[in-house]
Amino acid sequence: MLDYAAGTLADGPALAVALHLAFDPAARHVANGLAALGGILIESENAADVDTLALETVLGRLDGVSVDPLPKSPPPHPDFDWAPAALRPYLGPVTRWKRRLGGFEEIELDLRDDVHRVSLLRLEPGNGLPMHRHMGNEYTVVLRGGYTDRTGNYVVGDFAMGPGVEEHQPIADPGESCIALIVEEKPIVLTGRWGRWLNPLVRRGWL
Amino acid sequence: MLTAEQAADLVEAIALRQDRAAFAALFRHYAPRIKSFVMRGGSDSEAAQEVAQEAMIMVWRKAASFDRQRASVATWIYTIARNKRIDQRRRTGRPAIETEDWLTVFAPADEEADTSVLAGETYQRMKELMDSLPSDQQVVLRKAFFEDKAHTAIAEELKLPLGTVKSRIRSALGKLRQALEEKGDET
Repeated sequence: MLDYAAGTLADGPALAVALHLAFDPAARHVANGLAALGGILIESENAADVDTLALETVLGRLDGVSVDPLPKSPPPHPDFDWAPAALRPYLGPVTRWKRRLGGFEEIELDLRDDVHRVSLLRLEPGNGLPMHRHMGNEYTVVLRGGYTDRTGNYVVGDFAMGPGVEEHQPIADPGESCIALIVEEKPIVLTGRWGRWLNPLVRRGWL
Repeated sequence: MLTAEQAADLVEAIALRQDRAAFAALFRHYAPRIKSFVMRGGSDSEAAQEVAQEAMIMVWRKAASFDRQRASVATWIYTIARNKRIDQRRRTGRPAIETEDWLTVFAPADEEADTSVLAGETYQRMKELMDSLPSDQQVVLRKAFFEDKAHTAIAEELKLPLGTVKSRIRSALGKLRQALEEKGDET
């Protein structure tokens, strides 16, 4: 959270934190407090010498810069009415769920983040993701429904950060389908039934 | 000096009538502070001044999205300056998350906005808390949060064991968080 408020998180993890904050007023309160800390520090900063011409230069440049009208937040997308506002900019008119091998659906999000793969996953109740384990950090935020793995039960707004357990297989809870944002630092390694066929790393004996 | 109310009035004057005198007053107060802030991150004077100018132009452009219910001007300007500093660092690669995107994130739009605690209160409370922290904790928190320094770099700079730096940061953040949560419970 400190990294988020300081602005040092990469775009993928920053989106995960923003979505968690959208569901959790207490966490939002803490995040706003930390942002206020930045304001306090900048206000208490000693004033550096600024070139006397700087103000003139900037005022000159303002002639070509108009004050932007108040931005309208994108309206809720009819197909993605569960999406918090922070996610809407990434869901375009042509965004569609894509069926993936293993019985789940995915939307890959295009963030300017070279380190992380950021996507939305949708699992029907009772369905699970293939057994897998993580090679790097992973951030998960549940946006609808819930899922359970051997570490516990996760519901809307929950934020999970791992490497966590060595190996896990999340199963969607009964009720509505489970939708979650997944931010992954490095590709996961499939270790279950599918993994044997899909993951060349397994065949190479990297496990 | 500029009070929080005065600063908010100035930003609103820019939003309402493109008020250049209001902008000049904000510039005189904040540009030198942004410059100092950027120089803490290791930039030279010239580069830091460039960032300060860019940030102030963003203040002009984005004045209409400022909302005094959600953030103080100092906090708002801090987020802009911070993003400009990141942009400058990444100049060679792709730019960081757009300032405007981040502002949307920072102040979640309309229906999700939390106005139960006014920004001014949070700011005031954080300021009191920050002032009440022991100075050794203030120093490490400032370096970690504001100067964006790794814990190991702070330890080296202050000639302290890494464990001490970590425990001071943890302790300071614990107090801030606890106080914010207590406040949250009251509302």
